[in-house]
This record gives sequence, C-alpha cells and structure tokens, in this order.
Amino acid sequence: MSARRESTGGAPLGDAVGKPVPRLEAREKVAGRALYTDDLTRPGMLHAAQLGSPYPHARILSSDTAAAKALPGVRAVLTGRDFPRNYTGMFLMDQLPLAVDKVRYAGEPVAAVAADDLATAREALRLIDIEYEELEAVFDPVEALRPDAPAIHEDRGSYECHYELPPEPNAVCYSEFKEGDPQQAWARCDVVVENEYRLPAQYHMYLEPVSTLAEVDSNGKVTLWSSMQGVARVQMLTARALGLPMSKVRVIAPRVGGAFGGKCELTNQPVTAALAMAAGRPVKMTLSREDDMTMMKSRHAGTFRARTGAKKDGTLIARSVEFILDGGAYADESSAVSAVCAFFSRGPYVIPNMHVRSWSVYTNRLRAGAMRGFGNPQATFVSEAQLNELAAALDMDPLELRLKNALDEGDAWLGGRSVGVPSLKQCLQSVGKASDWRNRRKRRASAPGKRRGVGIAGFGHTSALLSAGAAVHLNEDGTVTVNTGAVDIGQGSDTALAQIAAGTLGLELDQVNYANPDTDSSPYNYQTAASRTTFMVGNAVARASAQVRDKLLEHAAAILESEVERLELRPGGSVGIRGISDEEIPFAAAAGHSLYVTGGPITGSSNWLYEPAEGIDPERTRTRGFVDVVAGSGVFCFGAQVVEVEVDEVTGKVEVLEVWSAHDVGRAINPDMVEGQLQGSVVQGLGYVLTEELVWDGGDLINPTMMDYKVPGMADVPHGIHAILLENPEPGAPFGARGVGEMALMGTAPAVTGAIAHATGARINRLPATPERVLRAMLERA
Amino acid sequence: MIYLEPESVPEAVAALAGDEDARCLAGGQTLMAMMNADLVMPSTLVGLRRIAGLHEVTETEGMLRIGAMVTHARLAGEERLEGARAVVTGSGGGGDDVSISGRLEGARAVVRDAARQIAHPAVRNRGTIGGALCHADPQADLPGALVAAGAHVEIAGADGVRTAPVDGFFVDYLESSLEPGEMLTAVLIPEGPQGAVGAHLKFSRTDGDYAIVSVSSVVAMQDGVCSYARVVVGSAGPAPLHLDAADALLTGSGLDDAVLLQAGDLLAAAADPVDDVRGSSDYRRLLLPALLARAVGAARERFDG
Amino acid sequence: MAEKVPVALFVNGENRQVLVDPRQNLLQTLRADLGLTGAKCGCGHGVCGACTVLIDGEAVLACLALTVAQAGREIGTVEGLADDEASAALVQAFVDCGALQCGFCTPGMIVAARALLQRNPRPTVEEIRHGLGGNVCRCTGYVKIVDAVRTASGAVQP
Repeated sequence: MSARRESTGGAPLGDAVGKPVPRLEAREKVAGRALYTDDLTRPGMLHAAQLGSPYPHARILSSDTAAAKALPGVRAVLTGRDFPRNYTGMFLMDQLPLAVDKVRYAGEPVAAVAADDLATAREALRLIDIEYEELEAVFDPVEALRPDAPAIHEDRGSYECHYELPPEPNAVCYSEFKEGDPQQAWARCDVVVENEYRLPAQYHMYLEPVSTLAEVDSNGKVTLWSSMQGVARVQMLTARALGLPMSKVRVIAPRVGGAFGGKCELTNQPVTAALAMAAGRPVKMTLSREDDMTMMKSRHAGTFRARTGAKKDGTLIARSVEFILDGGAYADESSAVSAVCAFFSRGPYVIPNMHVRSWSVYTNRLRAGAMRGFGNPQATFVSEAQLNELAAALDMDPLELRLKNALDEGDAWLGGRSVGVPSLKQCLQSVGKASDWRNRRKRRASAPGKRRGVGIAGFGHTSALLSAGAAVHLNEDGTVTVNTGAVDIGQGSDTALAQIAAGTLGLELDQVNYANPDTDSSPYNYQTAASRTTFMVGNAVARASAQVRDKLLEHAAAILESEVERLELRPGGSVGIRGISDEEIPFAAAAGHSLYVTGGPITGSSNWLYEPAEGIDPERTRTRGFVDVVAGSGVFCFGAQVVEVEVDEVTGKVEVLEVWSAHDVGRAINPDMVEGQLQGSVVQGLGYVLTEELVWDGGDLINPTMMDYKVPGMADVPHGIHAILLENPEPGAPFGARGVGEMALMGTAPAVTGAIAHATGARINRLPATPERVLRAMLERA
Repeated sequence: MIYLEPESVPEAVAALAGDEDARCLAGGQTLMAMMNADLVMPSTLVGLRRIAGLHEVTETEGMLRIGAMVTHARLAGEERLEGARAVVTGSGGGGDDVSISGRLEGARAVVRDAARQIAHPAVRNRGTIGGALCHADPQADLPGALVAAGAHVEIAGADGVRTAPVDGFFVDYLESSLEPGEMLTAVLIPEGPQGAVGAHLKFSRTDGDYAIVSVSSVVAMQDGVCSYARVVVGSAGPAPLHLDAADALLTGSGLDDAVLLQAGDLLAAAADPVDDVRGSSDYRRLLLPALLARAVGAARERFDG
Repeated sequence: MAEKVPVALFVNGENRQVLVDPRQNLLQTLRADLGLTGAKCGCGHGVCGACTVLIDGEAVLACLALTVAQAGREIGTVEGLADDEASAALVQAFVDCGALQCGFCTPGMIVAARALLQRNPRPTVEEIRHGLGGNVCRCTGYVKIVDAVRTASGAVQP
C-alpha cells in the first residue's frame, strides 16, 4: 500500500471517540421535551397555510383575495405578485416562493394566508378565487425531452444558470462521460446484457412535516425557526427570495424531525417570512402531511437503458448507460442529481470502456431534488442489476463477479480520480462471510408456498463537499463550547462532533457544549447533506480544537514554568508534564490565565473548503455538459450488502428475512449511532425497492397520505439487520472517519431484486417490486 | 358544530332526527380522519359513548349480540367468538396470513380473526364494529367476515328497531342501507354450524394496511366431505362478494384444490374490484382463486389434523 | 371562528379545564391548549402513531380522538410517564439502546410501548413488531427500538 497521510486529530485522547455513548439530546427526546418547530410559539403568533394549484400546467389569469381578506381573523393574504421576482435554485434559478403567471404542477403553492388560527387560515384559502387557463401538460420525462414538447419554462434561457443549458426546451441538464472506446469494445465481449429500468419517485416521509416560524423585529430583521438542513443555506436563499440583505435574516435550528434531503434548499421559509412581514406578527406555517407530499419534493424517478459486456471469465469490458431523470416542475437540485447519478453509473468496478449520457428534464409534476443518496441509489440499482444479469448469463456466482471486478489499490473512479482506500473487496468478503453467502445461496428450503433467495450488492459513495467552519472556545471553567452551524437532522451529528472535540482535547463528553446552530453566531456550514457532516465539519472541529489545545499548552507552560514540548494533555481536562504524574493543572487554570493574566480568551477557529487533489482527468475521460459538481466532491467510501428474501408464490409479495451490510466507515466515532444510520438506511432502501412510489393520475398525485403511500412499518422489516463496521482510517479525515449517512441505502434495492431473481428466476426492472409486479414477472417467466 | 352525548338509543335517534347533516361518532377512527382533512363537516355530531347498551356483548337465543360500540380490540379478545372446542390466542398482531393453529375454532371465529387484523393496536382500541360497518368500506375486514358469519344487524330509527341480514346492509362503496335518522345499534352473530371453522385471510401490501384481497370463510367438514361452506371476498367490489353458487360448489366436495380454484374462478368472474395504489383490478381478480384456495385449504387441513 | 365550548379533561393526573372548538381533536388540544407538545402530528389521520397517548390505560391516537368526547377519561401523555417505574425502565432502555434518531416518533413510540408492556410484560420480538406496528419510525430501521423494548421488559440484559 502506498504511504498515507495521517488522519486529522491523530490518536484520540481519552475515550470519547469510538465510544457508543447515547446521543446528547436523547433524554429530552424520550421525555417528549425536545422542541421541534411546530412545538414553538411566540407572543401574538398567527397560523398559516398555503393554497396549492388544482392544475398541473395553467396560466394564472387573475386572483381575487378580497373574500379571504374579509374573513374575520385573517391577518395577511399573499399571492405570487406580492413577492419580488427573485428566482432561487441550486444551479439553475427558476423558482419563486409562490407561483406567478403560471403554475407548473398540481399542488404548486399559489397563495398563502396567516390567521388567528389554522382553521380560519384554511377556510380563507377556500375563499381565494384564482382564474386559470389550462395549458397542455407533459408528464412523461421522455416525451418532455422531445423538441416539440410543450415548454414548461418558456423563459428558461433568461434564468441565471451556472452551466450551459442543453438545447431541448424542457431539459434541465445534460452530463456525459466517456472513457476508453465502448463502440469498439462491444465486439470484444463474450457476453452482453442489455435492459431498461424504471425507477420511482420516492418521498422522504420525514416524520415531521415541513414547518417554519417567522418573526420580524422593529428594524425589519426576520428571524426564522425552521425544520431544515442548514441555517446558512436557508438564510442565503430566503434573503435572496425576499430581496433582503442577509444581515436582515437570522435562521435558528430547533430540533429537526428527519429530513433525508427533503429539507435541503428552501421549503416554506420565504412565504412564512413574508406573511410575518405583512401581518406584523409572528407566523407559524406547518404543512399538513398531504400538503407536504403534494407541494414539497421527491427523489427523482427515471428511465434508464443500460448495456454491459464482459469476457467469459467475468472481466468487465464495457458499459453504456443512458437515462432521463424526471426533475418535475422546477430544477431544484436536479442538475446536480443527474450529474451525480452519471458519475456513479459505472459502480465501484473497473470497466475500461464507459459511456454515460444523462438528462434531467422538466415535467408538470412535483419537483424532484435531493434525497438520501442524491442520484447514487438510482445509478447503483442499474449498475448492480446489470451485474446480476451478467452473472446469470455467465453462470457465475454474483459475489465472485463483483470480487473479480472490484476497484483495487491504484484504480480510479469514473473520471480518473484515485479511489483512496479501496476497501470494496474487503466489504464484499466480509458480508459474504457474515451471511454465509455460499451456503445460503445453495440452501433454498422455504416455507410451503414460498421461495427463498439471496442477493448481493457492492457500492461506493463519497463524503466530502464544499465549505465548513467550526469555532471552539475554552470556557472559564475548563469546559469547551463547539459552534459549527451544522444542523443535526436526527442522524446524530451534534453528538459525533462533540465526541470529536472531546477526543481532540481529552475531555469527557459532558465537558463539551454543542452550540445550537444560529446564523447570528455560528460559523458558515454549507448544510447537512451528502454524508458530509462528520467528515467536513468534524475536520473543522478537530482543527479548531487542536488550536485550543495548542494555546492551552502555551498557557500551561507559563503556569507550570515548563516548555510546551514537555507537556501533554491528560484525559478529563488537565495539562501535565510528561513523565511527572503530579505536575499538572486543570484546563480551568489555563483558561483563567488567558482571561486575567495574559493573552486573552482561548479560542480556536477552522474554516475550510474541500478541494480534491485531482479533478476529472481529460486524458482519460471525455466529458460534455455539466460535470463540475462531481469534480468537487470526494473521499470515496465502500460497502456491500446481502439480503435474503422469501417470495410468496401466490401473491408475489416479498418478505425480507435478513440483511447484512458491511461498510468501511474509516473510524466509527460512535459505533451505535453508525449502526443506527446503517440500519435506518437499509429500511429506507427496503421501502424504495418494495413499497414506496408516488403515483400520479395525469397531474394529480393519488397517494399523498401515509395511508396510501406506504413506508415500511416495524412488522414489515426484519429484526435481523446486521451492520458490519470495518475501520480502515481515511487519511485527512477526523480520526479517520468517513460519512455514513447515505451509504447503506444504495445497495438495498439491487440486493433485494437479485434475491427475488434467485428465488423465482424473475427479474424486476421496475421499482418498487410490488407484489403485483413480482407476480406478473413470475407468471411471464413460467 | 354541535356535539351531543345522548344516554339512550331513543335520545340518539331523536338527536339524529333533529339535523339531517348529523352524524354518529362511535370510535372516530375513520370519521375523525375525514374531519381532520376537512372532507366531512357534520353540523351535529352525536357521540354514542354514553349509551351503555351499545358497549355490551350478550348471548341471546343462539345469537351473540355485539353492541355497536364494541371495539375491535374487544372483539379480537372475545372468547365467545370462539367455538366450544377452541382455545387459541393469536399473537395479538395483524399480519398477512391467518396464523394456522392445530385446534379448531368455531364459525364465529371469522369475526375475531378479522378484528385482530384491522390496522394496528391503537386503532383497534378505539375503532368499533358499528363504526366499521356503517362506513361500509368493502376494503375493510369486518364487513366480509360478518357476511361470512351470517350476521344480522340491528337498526334503530324513529319507527323502532329492526333487524336484517348483514348481506343487504352494504349497498355500494361507503354506502349502507341505513336510512336518514337511523343508527346501527348491534350486530347479531349466530353460532353457526356445529364444528365449523371460521377464518379471515388478509393479504395486504404492508402490515395494517387495507386488504388487497381478503377471504372470510366458514367451513365444516365431516369424514372428508364439506358439510357447510360460506365464503366471502373483501376488496373485490363495491360490497363484500358472496355467491351462493360458490358455496354450493364447495359444499359436498372434499375441498380439494381443484374445486377451491373452481369456486375461486366463479367469484373472480363476479368480482369488480377497484384499481388503486394497492393493486390493479386485474391483479385482485387474478389472486382471488389462489387466495381462496389457500384460505379454505388451510381450514381443510385443520380438519385433517 | 367557531364558537368554543368548555371541556373538563383529566390529563396526567390533573384536572384541566379547556375551551375548545368542538371540532378540535385531542392532539390539537394537548399541544395548543395544554402546552403538552410531546405528542406529535405526523400524518393527521391515525397512520403514523406519533400522537399516541394513553386513554384509560390504552394506547390511542390523539389525532383521532375528539376532545369534547374525552371528558371524564384518564389521559396520559409522554410527559406524564415520568413517575412510573416501568416507564422509567423503558425510557432508560431507549436511551441506552440508541433507539431514537430524530426523535419525532419517540414520544408516541414510548407511549405505545408502555401500553404494550402493560398488556404483555414479556413480549417476544414478533409481539413487539406487531404491537408497535402502528408507530412509524423513518430513521432507525426499528432494530434498536425492538431491542429497547426487549431490554425494558427484562428479556435481554442491557
């Protein structure tokens, strides 16, 4: 192995790192005392709701809000015309807080009301009269991409956009990667498989619906408490949407009841803020579940065509993938999602000849955006499904096929970047061993009327992106406060970041205070997304803590009349002279020295932007369109998963019996929380592959409730979900830790369909694998 | 909205007569959800919880009389819904398949079996048999089970109390034969044929969801020959699907798979299920014969055992 | 705005007088009128379980309980569980087993688990999976929740 850089933080001091401690806020959560946005009230607070468009594509001819305004108890009514025309978005700025001129999906917010109570607000919405002229709508992304399709954004060319728009009128983004010579390579393949796959729009179903509370002070400064993924991002986007300087927008994070990407970017913050400004009173807007499902966003549905060729011995030679993602009515994060999806289309394998072409496209449906995995679950499903088909065609064990082609030392990802610690083979072997793969693959005994099978998947993801900061200061009593602006959306980052600070300074966890994210006081952090918090913010925390350590040592040297080189931190918060056990002072003494004798307060501050050492290698890879976003993300992480299922012969229903998921997490800062992240990801993956799908009739979402859209319940998933943690430290990571928030979801869907195929012979190429689809596939085969 | 809590059935009937938009509130497990979503806005709500008689379960003249306010949880644990020879308690949970026990349960057990598969525990703690019937949702579990059990409904109105077979109670999707001003007061369940086995097989996407297809059956066998069969399919059309011809085909047979599939085909041909997110109409029809064979086949095996 | 009516509720061992819109459900009353925000609204129609409370000792969905119809009943919320030994064991097990992430489902989950253990003090894994099947958790994958309930029941050592 080549020489590696050290992990940030070196060896942790004390026992805080690697310890499965309960999360910091566990007590308040189990007691029902954790405060989420909807739990908050402010004096004189009003309640708000917004009206969704009944049409998927229509011109707004007029709006009459007089009756709503006249209703007693109504304090503010807004339509799109009450906002400046300041478009927001990620790379393509195309969205306004409320629709103006046109609506582009059924459910798109068109008006909002703040009133004394929610019932009155909802009654007022029914009194708003908007006259529409229906326009021809387009729902199928393939049709939407045609040059003659009805244009959903006629003014697309006038929007601010950070890449070159493709020519098709409804195209949001195009990305292309080409390596080797796939055209010629097909001829050298002994076996070629080719198929089409259709993947669904999965909805986040964070259990806490979107909610924002806004208050305006007498200087016009807006304070927002909101369920979201990043205070800084919401501050910037809200300020932009409302035409306010960022100095007039303050964003505070209460507890967040799950997000999974669905609360990235804006939700209802600008509208709630504008209502508070209009009413001159605090306003809270919590969406009903149905409003959340019809108005917010989903994972990208998509249509994929893929082809993979190999030698007789299983050596992968070539692959081509072409796909179109349904971005829905607004770009949101679509351009990045489709580029990321393209980037992961080769999977974590060596395939010398590759060609990927990807589009995201506007349709008259709910906008699609970030959701756990960000395009990678789609790419991994297609890639792994291809390997499953190839293994069958080659009559080769699916695990062997993966091991044979897995990325190894010195190999590169699509685009040419080095993969760092190439632990995919280790993950595959580990999960194969834990699940007793070879025997389980043979053992087919099932209950009567059931068929049993096992499937496997290998996958990779990244966990570094953009900027993060951390400020750590030593309190007068020798404890520390860590302030990062990173919002814990439930995954446990507050605890992990506190553990990193504790491990750098040798403190107990209760000697670390994690400051609540607040744009008035927290450093910049992009947002909680892309499995980046532990790696990015953790790094900033470790570095800032190290600065505190260095200053502490200087003060301690003065007090102890020694030299810094002779000093050491000791667990529990003291500094001593190496080799002399009773020569030590507590941190508090150093703090006091800094505050009252010399030097001033001890603080550490680290701010950094992740800049990968290598970009896309133009010698190796030809790209077209938008690929910048993938060039800036990095730190590869690997995992592998085995799933055992039983399929009901009569109904086609799939029961998952057991799951094994092995991951190279680098270093588990908190093994229990890592395990919980992996288990939770697996179950979201089970929902993705088996039950979850937003279903539309034309432009109408027909299952916008938890009754009709089914996420897995406790009795629907196995108790045996085994997380296997491998720990090959990542150079440059805080104590070697990689991000794990998204990873385990990638492999679940293809492992399950692989298991279904093993059990029944039926290949499921359209998700979710509902009982009906599975049974039909079984009948077609019979 | 006016909320009333009468203490007797005549008072409740009078309250209903006073407002044509009045609705009864039983356990509220469906009505409250619809009110929360602004789908229903009754001007008068007549809460039935204080009417003691509606909470009672009594045995009279071979009939088990179950008050309309009896909850699913109580039904699920009601020993009188078992046959004399049965002492079986399920896991207490829902699930897709009937847990097959080696012991025989009585005909009425079909009702208990259905009740314990409705939604989840908290819903079963409040949801009532009366509420479930009056909502008249053919995808629900109790309607089919009660038709299979040959139950009767007791209905009170301005003109007094009437009883009628439950079969005719379900008119269409979410529509019962209750007239304005009437309320359901009890369900009467006959003991059923001696030695019969009742069971409710529910097939759903996820635990606790509405059935894609459910099969409620009451069958008896003597010496390998079916002496009684009454089979009803839920989620198969606007009302629980019951065909005398299918029962007739089974009665007198050995309940072998061929005849079960044949009966299933008859029912499938008569079925008119909805197309929705749970499954297509075609799929439900396709499943029906094999699920019926599975349900009744399981009952048959209990007689073999 | 609808005319409000007075209701006498008995919540967590205390008599509470509230004035509510007769259409209001118990979840709204607990959260808005009684300051008990532990129970959450995840769906509004009785499918997510986040609003589970105890009524006369049984797990009930507060969003499907009409407030005016709860007069005279004994209502228990997560905030009121503190003093009871079995509840304390459950809460401790949730903390120790890491049976929560975002925490939004946790109050309902704990109340439902408390009711389950009341009915069945030593539930099997299967009985827990079905007994808590109406409480959706989107974060944990449920494994650690089942472990926590088993731990609280004394079936497994923490």
